[in-house]
Amino acid sequence: MFQREGWHRCKAAVTLIKWGEQMKEHKKKNSNRGMIITFLAPAVIIFLVVFLYPIIRTVMMSFYKIDAVTDKMADWTFTGLANYQKLLSTPIFATAMLNILKIWLIGGIIVLGLSLLFAVILTSGIRFKKFFRAVIYMPNIISAVALATMWQQYVYNSKFGLLTSVLKALHLDALAKTPWLDPDHLFWSMLFAYCFGMVGYHMLIWCSGIERISPDLFEAATIDGANKPKQFWYISRPLLKGVFKTNITMWSVSTAAFFVWSQLFSTVTASKSTMVPVQYMYLQTFGAGNAVTDRNAGYGAAIGIVLCICIVIIFTITNRVIKNDDLEF
Amino acid sequence: MKTKSLVALSLAATMAISLTACGSSAATTTTSDTAASTAPAAEATAETATETTTDAAATDGGSLVYWSMWSEGEPQAQIIKSATEKFTADTGITVDVEFKGRSGQREGLQPALDAGQTIDVFDEDVNRVNGTWGKYLLPLEDLAKDYESEHGNTTLFAIARNAYAQANDGDTTLHSIPYQPSIFGLFYNQTLFDKAGVSGVPQTWDELDAACQKLVDAGITPITADDAYMTCIIGYQLARYLGQDGVKSLVTGEAVNGTTCTWSDAGVLSAAKDIEDFSKKGYFSANISTNAYPVGQNQEFAIGDAAIIPCGSWLPNECKDYTAEDLKWGYMNFPTVDGGKDDRTANNIANQVFAINKDTKMADQAFQYIAYLTSGDVDAQFVSDAMCIPVDKANSDTWPTELAAVKTDFDATTTYYDWACGVESNADITGDIKDNTIKLCAGTLDAQGFVDAMKSVSGQ
Repeated sequence: MFQREGWHRCKAAVTLIKWGEQMKEHKKKNSNRGMIITFLAPAVIIFLVVFLYPIIRTVMMSFYKIDAVTDKMADWTFTGLANYQKLLSTPIFATAMLNILKIWLIGGIIVLGLSLLFAVILTSGIRFKKFFRAVIYMPNIISAVALATMWQQYVYNSKFGLLTSVLKALHLDALAKTPWLDPDHLFWSMLFAYCFGMVGYHMLIWCSGIERISPDLFEAATIDGANKPKQFWYISRPLLKGVFKTNITMWSVSTAAFFVWSQLFSTVTASKSTMVPVQYMYLQTFGAGNAVTDRNAGYGAAIGIVLCICIVIIFTITNRVIKNDDLEF
Repeated sequence: MKTKSLVALSLAATMAISLTACGSSAATTTTSDTAASTAPAAEATAETATETTTDAAATDGGSLVYWSMWSEGEPQAQIIKSATEKFTADTGITVDVEFKGRSGQREGLQPALDAGQTIDVFDEDVNRVNGTWGKYLLPLEDLAKDYESEHGNTTLFAIARNAYAQANDGDTTLHSIPYQPSIFGLFYNQTLFDKAGVSGVPQTWDELDAACQKLVDAGITPITADDAYMTCIIGYQLARYLGQDGVKSLVTGEAVNGTTCTWSDAGVLSAAKDIEDFSKKGYFSANISTNAYPVGQNQEFAIGDAAIIPCGSWLPNECKDYTAEDLKWGYMNFPTVDGGKDDRTANNIANQVFAINKDTKMADQAFQYIAYLTSGDVDAQFVSDAMCIPVDKANSDTWPTELAAVKTDFDATTTYYDWACGVESNADITGDIKDNTIKLCAGTLDAQGFVDAMKSVSGQ
């Protein structure tokens, strides 16, 4: 009887101690929560003010006719879906979307393909690796304005240009007469020049991915008789899936903001052949070229929203098609 | 617990302050960047500020902020900088000049004005200032009364008043002071004209045709152009047949001052056929489709490889480093066409204008500064250093030698067109107009093809 009572008392004491510990844990968690909230609050508030507010305002603006970006809301005129309807029926916007799609898809294949090739070569143990890496990356440290001007005014120049001179020297006279900057070739000339500047950046991302793969795998494959292409296909390629996803994301982000090259390849007055959505948005928001044209910041906002939706769709598809790394190495 | 909360709060406060500090440091950096990009200007302004602080203490002249449309390296900016220093020394009024460039001004001025930033004086194109930024302007009739009668160029003041009226229900009150006038037309190389035996200045399209034929016969490329001005070529030709209101109606699809035009109008096809005809006769440079500004003006016209170029009167200043030694400057307005609505006296005469913020607390000083920059010695300096057309009546006979041939046609102008005669009024189709005009000049598109392409784009 006493033994049983002692056992119960003992059990109660243990429960009490456990409860006490739980209370301490609870208090500790509470105090941690306070700390977390206190630390997070400034960042959250800043995020809300700096990001969320402009996003909400931009969405709202897209349903209004607004003269200038900074106009007071009282001066906005509600137009419902008119901005979106106009976008869908404006040929130049369709051209701009088609151009950006071509830049993303064709430019993406060129840039990601070339950069992967360079990365594989550079990480295969060639001599002067650092030198070649620096040379290929160099266009990234030069201003886009300088690069575009160099391509437009020198490389593609019909009279004294690099392409014309080289092709003439090679006696390819018919090819040398190609009007690289006329409306029919301007887009492709711009795209090629842009790709030239982007290869180095993506090559570095590929390099970092390849260098993460253990050399033991390649060594073992070499002993087993696998040549370099087979090593790439069966070892590097599957292990670079995550890096591929990163590269597509970075390429999509930079392509969505494509603007400077279009501006520089269509001097003063925008050309149809190089028109892209951000450039069109700029023209509609701030006015075009030398002429004083109607401005509508609400229309500009609608362009931004459509562009944003397209990017979200691309990211969703990318995430579905390319799964996260399922291989550990 | 209390201690922990206090620690947490103080850490959070520190973080917030750090962030704020980061913000202000970023702001400082931006300012520094701007300052760096306009280093000499900042230096000059700093010097001016230092000098004027002393002067201002003595004279209490006050301080102005001027947002300039010029970029740091342009000759106009250099003249404004030196003139501002002299102005400060003379008057004791400090001026903080911020060279924003064209893009900076178009993107940043209105938000800055809306935010209540102190900007007393700003400048830009006459139509943009009076139209787009019309609601920020201080009326200047009273302030400018004496100045206008003493220094004002009648034509330019009429254009400035008209620009405000166009955008403000016909109100012709003066709201801006013109400077840097320019005219857009056809510059030619008199030496090459003489060599080809072309005498006199072509006044009509047929006379221009004959002149070009003589140039071709002499082995000289008659006409070149840059992509930047392609819309001006078609704009002028259309305006000669339809008038500016007709051109604006054509591109906007709306009636303009009672005038309605469509791409099916006979005048449109006639304008396109004129250009097609010139193209077929080989009058345009072989590089016309690839001349990215300023290749045409610098590498073809200025060096004497082509005889004629459509451009504004800023051309001699822009290509002065490339100009052939034997180049004698000639100029003609776009010629009159048979059966056209407007003749060669209708032209795009534009200018930059200074305006004063309606919220300024220093209106008198601001106007004093504008008057200083647009008259007397400073105006003469614009003429000599930047090859500009003078605006001060007193300097009306001191046109730059390179622009001497422009004066007659400038003075003969009685109808004033907007930029490219209004053909760029609809940004949705301007890109098509530009590309199709290039193709028309290059001969890869015929006149009917041009009209059809534009009909399609305009949904007609």
